[in-house]
Amino acid sequence: MKIYVGFFILILAFTVGCASDQATEEPTPPAEIPTQEPQPQVRGIFLEGTAGGDAETLNWILAADASSHSYAGQAFDSLATYDNQWQVVLRHLAKPVEVSEDGLIYTITIRDDLRWSDGTKVTAEDYVYTLKNLMFSDWLNYPYKGDWQEEVNGETVFVEPEVLNETTFVIKRQTVHPEFMDDPIYSLTPYPKHIAVKYEGDVEAFTQAEEFNNLTYTGNLGPYRFKEWIRNDKYVVERNPDFYLGQEDGSPYFEEFVTKLFGTSAAALAALEAGDITYTGIEPEQVAKFKEMEEINVYTVPTRSYDLIVYNLRNNGWEGLRNKEVRQALSMSISKKEVIDSIRLGFGDPAFSFIPKPSPWFTEEGVPKFGYGSLYDKEAAKQMIYEAGYGVKKQDGTVEVQNKDGQPVILTLATTPGGGIAEDLAFLVKQELADIGIEVDIKLIPWPTLLRQYVMNKVSGTDQEPRYNNGPEAVSEEPWDMIIMVFNTHPIAPSGSSVFFGTDGGLNYWGYSNPKVDELFKKSRSKEALSEEVRKEIYGEISRIIADDQPVDFLTFPRSNHGFQANVEGIDVGMRLGWNYHKWHFAAP
Amino acid sequence: MRQGGLQWYIVRRLIYAVIIAFGVVTITFILLRLGPSSPADKYLANMSARTQDPAQVITAIEARYGLDKPIYQQYADYLINLARGDWGWSFSTSMPVMELIKKHWVYSFQLIFLSMVFSAVLGILIGVYSAIKQYTKTDYLATFFSFIGISIPNFWLGIMLILIFSVQLGWFKTYYDTGLPMFSLANLKALVLPVITLGTGMMAGYTRYARSATLENLRKDFVKTARAKGLPEWTVIGKHVFRNAILPIITIIMFDLSGVVFGGAYLTEIIFGIPGLGRISFNAIFANDYPLVVTITLIGAIVVLLTNLATDIVYTWLDPRIRYD
Repeated sequence: MKIYVGFFILILAFTVGCASDQATEEPTPPAEIPTQEPQPQVRGIFLEGTAGGDAETLNWILAADASSHSYAGQAFDSLATYDNQWQVVLRHLAKPVEVSEDGLIYTITIRDDLRWSDGTKVTAEDYVYTLKNLMFSDWLNYPYKGDWQEEVNGETVFVEPEVLNETTFVIKRQTVHPEFMDDPIYSLTPYPKHIAVKYEGDVEAFTQAEEFNNLTYTGNLGPYRFKEWIRNDKYVVERNPDFYLGQEDGSPYFEEFVTKLFGTSAAALAALEAGDITYTGIEPEQVAKFKEMEEINVYTVPTRSYDLIVYNLRNNGWEGLRNKEVRQALSMSISKKEVIDSIRLGFGDPAFSFIPKPSPWFTEEGVPKFGYGSLYDKEAAKQMIYEAGYGVKKQDGTVEVQNKDGQPVILTLATTPGGGIAEDLAFLVKQELADIGIEVDIKLIPWPTLLRQYVMNKVSGTDQEPRYNNGPEAVSEEPWDMIIMVFNTHPIAPSGSSVFFGTDGGLNYWGYSNPKVDELFKKSRSKEALSEEVRKEIYGEISRIIADDQPVDFLTFPRSNHGFQANVEGIDVGMRLGWNYHKWHFAAP
Repeated sequence: MRQGGLQWYIVRRLIYAVIIAFGVVTITFILLRLGPSSPADKYLANMSARTQDPAQVITAIEARYGLDKPIYQQYADYLINLARGDWGWSFSTSMPVMELIKKHWVYSFQLIFLSMVFSAVLGILIGVYSAIKQYTKTDYLATFFSFIGISIPNFWLGIMLILIFSVQLGWFKTYYDTGLPMFSLANLKALVLPVITLGTGMMAGYTRYARSATLENLRKDFVKTARAKGLPEWTVIGKHVFRNAILPIITIIMFDLSGVVFGGAYLTEIIFGIPGLGRISFNAIFANDYPLVVTITLIGAIVVLLTNLATDIVYTWLDPRIRYD
């Protein structure tokens, strides 16, 4: 899987690890029913090949990378997960979370059969301790503690967890947040209080704690147990016979689940072709070849990320970019179809807002589709730029785009090097904009430098610490006009995207501001928005306004391709491909 | 040669090695701290930052790893811990630095050792034979393959070998399996393709050096004298030509050895999924894992110093005329 420039907001921790059926809610059919599926046999080792980076730690609360959460998540589930239809599937929850009528109190009841490795019961106290003493603490600095904070009278405060009884706790908010359950409650998982207290307050001891670095505490909380981790080589977990869901269906069905790291995707693909591994992601250009192989099944699924071109609306960007019509014109000159066909090789859908099609909040109604269909029109784009004051009309009636002082327009486009999709996109943009008379100067900047010198900003001449959004007057150290990025969105809880599109959004580094959008995002976290109808209206309106403002050019929602050996069964193909991975199994030989 | 002279020479070289190693640690330590990036960078990239202040995040993460202290204090702490045998905690892999290196050095060592043996033995034999048979078809063939060997990039050769011998023919696994017992035929088999990948370029180089050095010595007067005295040809080549020709080749082999230990084998490790020190050090640099980077640099320096010393000692054994007193 290609990973390039990207902010990962709304990270659903343990994406692979959150897997199972809604075992607690399914009635058990009588044994004599002949149509009952036979229980799969436990057999074999599932070998996942990946060309991504290794995890940094299994002590997940310290982790900032997706691999760490993915590795650790195989040993414990969270409170709930989603299936491919984005329906909630209970995991450690005994019953659905109850929300008070005013939307401020969440009552969470966990299963009473959850155990730590030493046999002690997992209790509500463990969850509340994890929240209050670890996630909210200053000494540990949990990277995602912002998920548990709210703005109250201009101050940032934490929500208030409280134990009700052994298996029930509540979380009290002071402001309404209709998506609080989807993100972050469902992804919550506890640390064992009786072990964690030994290290409390000592970040070095906590960081190096053997129990947390070797996951020796995870009991029956997940389908697999930690076995071995050879850095930069493989991460091995073995079947957990005590798995709380396995008591009913005998899952998981692999003896071991191994994540094998490859240095290149070519090596991982060769291993899949040779039958040395069970699964790996497939690059678009390899899909046709693997689809022809009988022994490989290739599944193509939508993703929840989108690639886009960010326009710099701050004072160190080209002044034309602060004009909505100019931005629309630029986006009208870059073909989304070309991006999908030539760069994504057909594996993508055009993007017009930050909400993907599988989301219940997706709408096309009234959303302008710049760069697509009739709105991919370079002549019209030139005319719009001319009308905005950046061009001259020649004698033959054609428009020549230029700055107000008559100089040619040269835009700086920054992205990361590496020969990947971001770089291909950069050259496509250069080619497209050349057709309307705009020169693009591509700068390939290593990611840390891009962040510090182009993305982070501060008001010049002040001693402000650089941030991603230091207010409307702030500018980055280096001037830029466009940056190619990948953002993630949560299809069920897209209000988190206010960090990108809200005036004060923590990641709104390009300086976009529209009071109407701010108001709508605010409304999406109000009592009124507890109604799904209202929320649908809100997101529809936000999509329309942002698409019209074009502070960014949404390009595509890519689709990813996954190759499995044909003897793997039980896969539910969809956006949440791994949601039931503990039920995957090998076919009988 | 006087034994005491050599011993004193070794002692002096070891003292120099300690001083140089100290300098390497100091310079690496300071340069890393003065660089623009920080271990907190990864948090900046992945942080949701909804209400988090990046500046606070950097401060907190640096405090977590003790990087908030003044640099002289960090340096003093590092040296004190080093003196106690504590090499620090690798924060990109979440384990003690020395434990990590102890686990992984062997993967690099076996690959490098076997590649050196493969390339040196074959390279020298072909080179010497090529020189003896100068301007014959055999010589031209060896020269042709040497140039190809030098020209082929490791990553291309490795992938080709995998596609042909693993994917098409199914003779080898596509990747190196760390689960195999170290001293087993299965492990040796698993290393065949990586060794060919890493060793081919080096072998081609040694072939050229060996050919050239042998040719040079074949023309020397003492060789003519040996032949005039009626010594058998294999004695002339083995005792008089080869022994003199090997000296510059030993230097090159030792130099290569110190070069591939850290970095040179990186591409081969990447292609075959070998978790050796090349991969570890590369990742450590990009993760700004200071303790690990400093230790790996130090070990690299020590290997270079020791291989140089070993080269000098081998010289005295191969050529008694060389003295260090």
